Amino acid sequence: MLEVSGLSVSYGRHLALSGAALSVARGEIVAMLGANGAGKSTLLKAVAGMVAAHPGARIELDGRSLVGQAPHHIVDRGLALVPEGRGVFGELSVEENLALGAYPSRARAAEARTRASVLDLFPRLGERLGQQVRTMSGGEQQMVAIGRALMSAPTILLLDEPSLGLSPLLSHELFQALRRIRDTGLGILLVEQNARLSLEIGDRAYVMATGVVSGGGSAAQALDDDAVQRAYLGAV
Amino acid sequence: MQLIVELLLFGLTLGGLYAMVAMGLTLQYGVARIMHLAYGEWLIAAAFGAYAAFTYWQVNPLITLALSLPVGFAVNWLVYQVLLSPLVRRTQAGPALEVDSLLATFGLLFVVQGVMVVLFGGSYHSYNFAAEAVNIGGALIARNRLIMFGLTVLAGLSIYLFLSRTRAGAAVRAVATAPGNAPLVGIDVRKVSAITFAVGGALVAAGGVLASMFLTFSASMGVIFTMKALIVIIMGGVGNMLGAVVAGLLLGMAETLVARLVDPGLTLAVNYLLFLSVLLWRPAGLFGRPVR
Repeated sequence: MLEVSGLSVSYGRHLALSGAALSVARGEIVAMLGANGAGKSTLLKAVAGMVAAHPGARIELDGRSLVGQAPHHIVDRGLALVPEGRGVFGELSVEENLALGAYPSRARAAEARTRASVLDLFPRLGERLGQQVRTMSGGEQQMVAIGRALMSAPTILLLDEPSLGLSPLLSHELFQALRRIRDTGLGILLVEQNARLSLEIGDRAYVMATGVVSGGGSAAQALDDDAVQRAYLGAV
Repeated sequence: MQLIVELLLFGLTLGGLYAMVAMGLTLQYGVARIMHLAYGEWLIAAAFGAYAAFTYWQVNPLITLALSLPVGFAVNWLVYQVLLSPLVRRTQAGPALEVDSLLATFGLLFVVQGVMVVLFGGSYHSYNFAAEAVNIGGALIARNRLIMFGLTVLAGLSIYLFLSRTRAGAAVRAVATAPGNAPLVGIDVRKVSAITFAVGGALVAAGGVLASMFLTFSASMGVIFTMKALIVIIMGGVGNMLGAVVAGLLLGMAETLVARLVDPGLTLAVNYLLFLSVLLWRPAGLFGRPVR
């Protein structure tokens, strides 16, 4: 269970995130909607320890605080981030990217089992273990990024725009995989441009505007909500 | 025929030394992103260590060699933690780090060199160890050169296998090629940088002990080795181990050929000639990829 409250972040004098609060439980997909520049990526980065939060923030994973922890420690605590742009190691092979996913000590014991389930989830990676990642297509690189994150045996997975640059077909495939990942008991926080897709697979949804988070109800409710429809789903 | 074997042997042994020393520098520069100008000073310091141990206390240089690895590691680890890590923190390991570390290690160069001049004076030193000739295919070569060649091959192979076959090695390559992404999988970039920098120090110290067995050296010669190592890693492609090995061997061969067949005074000139020709042909180095 990831619980965040009072999370504020500034870049210089610009307040990017103002008292954000949200929660993600195991076994659910939580969609985070919002326009460009609303602070969604900042929120994920702050939770993952990559940008500093204002004092007073509360970020807890299963009751233990993550505030002030270095990013590499946070991964070892069970929270994995797939950043926008994927963050894969392009010069390394698929095999090596997956092996590095299991770099944190928490991942070592179950490594073989996790690897098998990742390759089951993304069979294409199994066919291309020796390939250098930067030579792969965007969709395949996204699979590497998600597979690598799963290799660290996280309890919570943060995804920033996973469908960016993918074809509708590939996006659909990817979201099916996310559903299967959720069914194994992981909690997923999904930041997406593609609001309709993310509300379809999401269990709950938050809406973010200019650094402020609201909502938190079921994704079905959000789908029906007039304001959400107008802002993110293109209804008139 | 005998001349060819002799040239090959001398070229390969010298090249092996260059390759090993360059591998250390390419680790420090390619992974820790420190341009270490005092690099060659540690080579000379280790050479003096082996010299002193051998001439004053009759310590076998091979024992000094074994000791030089942990000592070189420890000294360079300390240099990183004390002198360089404040710079890494201040520059956020950004582009400014290169300039800052250049200046800091330039200062360090004079400190280390000064200490050596005080201890050993400015004159040339050498000692005799395993210098007896061995006959290989009609060519005569000193045993110490063969020992050196064997050990540099061993060092090169171990580093290659470590980097390509182990998870820790993959982590080092991840830091070298995508330092911003490394924390995503739980890699502590600072720690990996410090350790890799220290491994580079171990390599250059071992290279210094090996060089002292067959070279004449003085306290002010460190910068020549820094420069040669730099030439080798730029020729090979920065951060590329295979490139460092190939370029190192190439440089050793070229120097040997010119020194024996043309004029020993031209070795430095051939350094630059080779360097320039390689860069004209491949600006990113033999194995370097052009930046997008």
